[in-house]
Amino acid sequence: MGLTRRSVLKGTGALAGIALASRAGLADARGLLTDPLLEEVVDRALGAAKKAGATYADIRIVRRRSESLFTRDDHIADVSANENYGLGVRVIANGAWGFSAASQVIPEAAERAAQIAVEIAKANAPLLQRPVQLAPAKAAVDVWQTPLERNPFKIPLAEKSDLLLAINGALLKVPGIKHCFSWFQGLGEWKLFASSEGAHIEQDIVRIRPGYTATAIDTASGEFESREHDLPPSQAGWEYVARSTLLQDAPRIGEEAVQRLKSPSVKPGKKHLILAPSNLWLTIHESVGHPSELDRALGYEANFAGTSFLTVDKLNKLQFAAPHLSFYADKTTPAGLATCGYDDDGVKTQKWDIVRNGKFVGYQTTREQAGWINEPQSRGCSYAQDFRSFPFQRMPNVSLEPGSKDLGLKDLIAATDDGILIYGDGSWSIDHQRYNFQFGGQMFYEVKGGKVTRSLRDVAYQSSTPDFWKSCDMLGGAREWEMGGSFWDGKGEPGQVNAVSHGCPPARFAQVNILNTSRRGDRK
Amino acid sequence: MKPAIAVPNLKGALDTALAAAKRLAPAAAAFVRLESSRDANLRFARNEVTSSGDVDEATLSVEITLGRRHASSDTNQLDQASIEAAVSRAIGLAEVAPEDPEVMPPLGAQHYLQAAPGFDAPTASLDAAARAKMAREAMALKPGEDLQLAGFLEHYASRELLGTSAGLRADHQDTGATLSLTARTADGTGSGWAANVSHRIGDVDPVKVGAVARDKALKSAKPTKLDPGRYTVVLEPAAVAELLMFMLFSMDARSADEGRSFFVKPGGGNRMGEKIFGPHITITSPVGDPLLPVPPFGMDGMAMAPLTWIDQGTVKALMYSRYWAQKQGKTPTGIPRGVLMAGGTATSEDLLKGVKKGVLITRFWYSTPLDPQTLLTTGLTRDGVFLIEDGAVTRPVNNFRWNESPVQMLKNADALTKETYRVPGDFVTVRVPALRTHEFNLASISDAI
Repeated sequence: MGLTRRSVLKGTGALAGIALASRAGLADARGLLTDPLLEEVVDRALGAAKKAGATYADIRIVRRRSESLFTRDDHIADVSANENYGLGVRVIANGAWGFSAASQVIPEAAERAAQIAVEIAKANAPLLQRPVQLAPAKAAVDVWQTPLERNPFKIPLAEKSDLLLAINGALLKVPGIKHCFSWFQGLGEWKLFASSEGAHIEQDIVRIRPGYTATAIDTASGEFESREHDLPPSQAGWEYVARSTLLQDAPRIGEEAVQRLKSPSVKPGKKHLILAPSNLWLTIHESVGHPSELDRALGYEANFAGTSFLTVDKLNKLQFAAPHLSFYADKTTPAGLATCGYDDDGVKTQKWDIVRNGKFVGYQTTREQAGWINEPQSRGCSYAQDFRSFPFQRMPNVSLEPGSKDLGLKDLIAATDDGILIYGDGSWSIDHQRYNFQFGGQMFYEVKGGKVTRSLRDVAYQSSTPDFWKSCDMLGGAREWEMGGSFWDGKGEPGQVNAVSHGCPPARFAQVNILNTSRRGDRK
Repeated sequence: MKPAIAVPNLKGALDTALAAAKRLAPAAAAFVRLESSRDANLRFARNEVTSSGDVDEATLSVEITLGRRHASSDTNQLDQASIEAAVSRAIGLAEVAPEDPEVMPPLGAQHYLQAAPGFDAPTASLDAAARAKMAREAMALKPGEDLQLAGFLEHYASRELLGTSAGLRADHQDTGATLSLTARTADGTGSGWAANVSHRIGDVDPVKVGAVARDKALKSAKPTKLDPGRYTVVLEPAAVAELLMFMLFSMDARSADEGRSFFVKPGGGNRMGEKIFGPHITITSPVGDPLLPVPPFGMDGMAMAPLTWIDQGTVKALMYSRYWAQKQGKTPTGIPRGVLMAGGTATSEDLLKGVKKGVLITRFWYSTPLDPQTLLTTGLTRDGVFLIEDGAVTRPVNNFRWNESPVQMLKNADALTKETYRVPGDFVTVRVPALRTHEFNLASISDAI
């Protein structure tokens, strides 16, 4: 496997004088922080950790806010505003990690959490074969915020509910649409990270998730079909919703749900597959994003999320995809859900290659992991979903570069004799080493002789990751490159969620296995 | 290990929230829910500990109803000012929220059945040293075993405290402990999994969990190819429970009545009373059963009555929310917090008997619905798939993607173990038998190990 834990860290454990340095730096930063109590909380946590025997310690103070609206048919069904605040202290003592968290952000709780974290680390150290080593990182003192125009938490509730109910009204006007749901969710994540190495980083991240779904029902047959809007969640303010075509699209989305119900069932077999970015982003997430997580590749997630076929011996050797495909990871693209200034190890975020010209060339790493593959520095992929969660390696935005030719969906369709075109994400499933996957979609169309001929239903495509990416024979250009994304990327035990985006152009894949997922005969 | 600092006064927080609601919005109805827990865990992988944590948290949620308008708010800060701020925020949102014609007032005082004991003091107080000892026992390898072990030990103690402005009060404490372990052969060709779940840490046997997972890993090494197809399968409890959940969560009466579920009757209405499965399929949500220690109330505080969802193959109940039950003239069921699938008469060995050619499956992975109308679901097998020939397990085989529905799994089941097993899960406490079923669609090969 080529795994080593060579010592890449010089000077871990140098705790003295750190708090002073961070405060001086913070004075120059455009801090959002106004509560002096937090400085004492930070100092007490780091000081208690050191006193108890930690060679490294960090504290994250995190406030998560969410506001959710959910509607059903012609009325509001749920309005909620939630807050969650607390501190998590992470330490290395005797070479082992320890972690403890408390929801009371006061100096006494911070001190106690640090003591418990060290106690845990010491209890676990005898079960360790290789002590944890952190790759070096510059101790940053900085502030980072989501660029936004209209803070969604300051938009009046009526503006949000009026939009959602107007969408529902437009959907329910479509003949055949019997039910609809619409929603808006805003998530705010404010956090202060401070470490025994002198990092002191404040970040304020805002993410939003608008959407709706319409359901067409044929009462006589008992059949129904739903269509969800394709607008992805984003790291943005309310302006993202205001500028969207959510409301204008409602009649079309409703009509497409009805159309799905009336569509013929797909004939299974091998066909050319044209995927719009609204579908392909999720395939990238599952088949490129997850297998290139280093902890998975080395067995650290074997008990839950699984391992990966991209083992370390394949790095810089495996032809992962067709030579015209390149995938990159980044946490810097504006509006990307995983974008931020620094990860939860305090490492500045960056952009790097995962697959270059079809070859597998890069993993996602944290400070702990970089040395495992002899890399000098972390890729900055550490994240914890909230104060009470242990930070570990989470997926950055992983995207497919646009092709060099200025091709769009129309060009891909025109070049296809016999194929299937898919918009939107539907069902998704992939095995625990990321080979065999099966995906659905929202809208499916038959393509014959270079033209879209009719809509279809009951479509899924199934393939194995390397076969699929090698079968890509047409790639759209930058003009139609779009990002999709999810709030709900799950990993770890206890489970944590991560929000992540994936950009891509439309693409065509040759001779992919198309399944018919209908089992309507089984209902009797 | 002691909690971080002073244990929050939950009853005091409940009273503070209800009093604040009454003072700030005298016309409002209020529902308050407090959840307090200590969750601690230890993860291990590659035969060593990786991370470990210990967290105390208490969260207060308040829902305010003003006529037909309602909104909710929650906070994990339980000082008086924060509680009042959360109540005030919910009131502020409720005042401007559009009307909801389906709003139901908070419940009044309820009469709860006796819950089965679900709190175990040793589980609540387990410390880092005790977790490390269990992990060490789970990770012990026999001489000559070249295996990589990864696993997760977690335990919790939690308390739920509910109250409404209409006089409801509910209080329940429980504990839980789970150890799961995956063993993989060093050559990467074999993988085995096992788990123990209980509300008592003493029931979780790290030596046994380790032994079962290691044995499976070694026996599953170097699998041979088996073609996709429809097979007789013997499903171990984790697999049964995972697929069964897709059916249980589609048993909502409203979805069926509105034409959006498997339980729709063509022409209108639902399939209540219809015999869909064989006589050996019975699924219940008991209250007070020691096999399934769950609170005797729903998330909204409604008293839970014992319910039979499927009785000897016949659909006896669908889930009715309070609103839908009122509209349809039915009794509300709420959402069950525990589900028990009754066992049959077989032993684990009996399930293999008479199987000419079949497949033994340990567990599933990444199961996801394909078609809500038929409940067709897709997913994969993992951590131990074996060929059964002439009534005996003969050799390990490759993993599969399957496309199958829980309905067909139950319809085609012809043997269930007498014993039922609690399986790991987050939202609902579940106990199921292992079973044998037929014509199970193992649709394509997965190269994953």
